[in-house]
Amino acid sequence: MGGMNFAFHCREKPRPTGKKVAVIGAGPAGLAAAGCLVCQGHEVHVYDKLPEPGGLMLFGIPEFRIPIYRVREGCERLEKAFGVKYFPRTKVCFGNPKENGDEFVEREIDFEEIVRNYDAVLIATGTWNAYVPTIPGSDLEGVFPALEYLFRIKSAKLGYMDWSKVPPVEGKKVIVIGAGHTAVDAALESVNLGAEKVYLSYRRTIHEAPAGAYEINLLQQRGVKWLERTMPVKIIGENERVRAIELVKTRLSEPDETGRRRPVPIEGSNFQIDVDYVVCAVGQMPTPPFSKETGIALDRKGRIVVDSRHMTSREGVFAAGDVVLGPSKVGKAVKDGLYAAESIHYWLMEVKE
Amino acid sequence: MRKVLHVDYSLCIGCETCQGVCEFIHHGKPNIRVYYTVTGIPIPITCRHCEKAPCIEVCPAGAIFRDHDGAVIINPNKCIGCMMCLAVCPFGVPTFDVKLKAMTKCDMCADRRQLGMPPACSEMCPAEAIFFGKPEEVEEEIRRRTAEKIARERISKVSLEGVGKLI
Ligand SMILES: Cc1cc2nc3c(=O)[nH]c(=O)nc-3n(C[C@H](O)[C@H](O)[C@H](O)COP(=O)(O)OP(=O)(O)OC[C@H]3O[C@@H](n4cnc5c(N)ncnc54)[C@H](O)[C@@H]3O)c2cc1C
Ligand code: SF4
Ligand code: SF4
Repeated sequence: MGGMNFAFHCREKPRPTGKKVAVIGAGPAGLAAAGCLVCQGHEVHVYDKLPEPGGLMLFGIPEFRIPIYRVREGCERLEKAFGVKYFPRTKVCFGNPKENGDEFVEREIDFEEIVRNYDAVLIATGTWNAYVPTIPGSDLEGVFPALEYLFRIKSAKLGYMDWSKVPPVEGKKVIVIGAGHTAVDAALESVNLGAEKVYLSYRRTIHEAPAGAYEINLLQQRGVKWLERTMPVKIIGENERVRAIELVKTRLSEPDETGRRRPVPIEGSNFQIDVDYVVCAVGQMPTPPFSKETGIALDRKGRIVVDSRHMTSREGVFAAGDVVLGPSKVGKAVKDGLYAAESIHYWLMEVKE
Repeated sequence: MRKVLHVDYSLCIGCETCQGVCEFIHHGKPNIRVYYTVTGIPIPITCRHCEKAPCIEVCPAGAIFRDHDGAVIINPNKCIGCMMCLAVCPFGVPTFDVKLKAMTKCDMCADRRQLGMPPACSEMCPAEAIFFGKPEEVEEEIRRRTAEKIARERISKVSLEGVGKLI
């Protein structure tokens, strides 16, 4: 039936206000905000380091969940019917280190330059710093953060990356660490790519799995071996490559001060399984488009701090989506983007709320 | 002309975009809400604008009517807040609005339809799990999507490479 309609607020582009807004990051938060802003008559420029707008909806989440055309046609409509201007393959930075998804960057723009050139700025850069647990062997060849693994698969499917850059898991053994949606997707894609054996290791039981028991059961039906109450101790290599992984069984501790029962390793319960790839879906960190001092406050977890108007500690610079919330959901990012866009509009037009 | 607003639960990925968008355009109160079952399955609950709507039949104040598109709508000025509609709705949809002192629910985005725009949730659902249109169009689309799903499960990825457009 066509693409998402990010500019669902209006039928056509209204009279221009003459204000220019830069959106950094074309994920669901940035696109929802862009759609809302063009419907208010503002000129919107969207910067993204990837070759095409869509964020994780296109470059992370498997297409059996979100159809590619749904995102692609939605972004095209925003451009053709509402005049949103995209600047793909353009990383906005200020001293940033290398982050996930930097492969396609062709241009770098200074964050301060963006702030100077626009009437308002929205940061919606998500959480593109995926990490692997610091255990012995985590630097071996064949160990991937799940985001990187799924990003490569989607990039190849979209035609931006050669399949030779996708871990060749066909006929191999893969273990995925974690039990959230990202872990489930990584396990499913491994099955789809023809892995001989796929394991899923989780510290707690199926009842605590963030993806829900149903999703885990579906995986088991598709042949994934579910290893609950296990955690990785070390990854064993041979010629710098993964050969096996050592796991330890866990039990739940007595409730701590917060009442939570933490999984603790059972001494002497270690065991090894032969694997060729280790995919870690244990978390992602926010990636603001700066790492040097810009006068924008971050919290302990690296998230951008915003007030009730979604404004950062710097006047005229707003933020929304996972870079503010931490890893969340498409809908939460969309909602955050919408409210941020509304605030930007009020702020630009000096409307009192 | 009769229109339907259909949520296909097998296509829903539980991303909560419908709820977020609905909340945004309805001053913080979404009419479509995603609930998680004990097994962890997300189910968006919203009015299904039933053909033989029990809520219309039971309402003692005659406050519930059907508009030209077939949307079932509660008139807050006539509603006496007895909650009988909630009691008979198979989906537990109508909600008591404390400020309005009346029951409210999804009106299939009546304001938007007046301007020729479809309900916002169906416009924004990334998984295309929410359909809006004439019944026969919606049914056709659902069957087409289901066929794709069956094919995807049956055919391996490799043999699909380079065939047609990505789905
Ligand atoms: C594997 C996986 C599966 C998921 N499955 C689901 C699911 O089933 N349902 C669900 O609701 N949610 C799911 N999520 C979560 C969801 O994808 C995110 O919560 C959502 O996409 C966040 O939106 P966002 O716009 O804040 O960020 P993103 O979607 O991450 O978009 C951020 C954009 O900013 C760009 N960017 C970053 N830094 C820069 C820079 N310095 N300069 C320029 N551009 C930059 C990135 O390229 C990216 O396009 C999943 C996430 C992952 C990783
Ligand atoms: S927007 Fe679509 S996929 Fe997301 S929760 Fe709603 S119905 Fe489900
Ligand atoms: S409120 Fe309930 S009974 Fe009435 S039309 Fe909607 S779904 Fe049917």
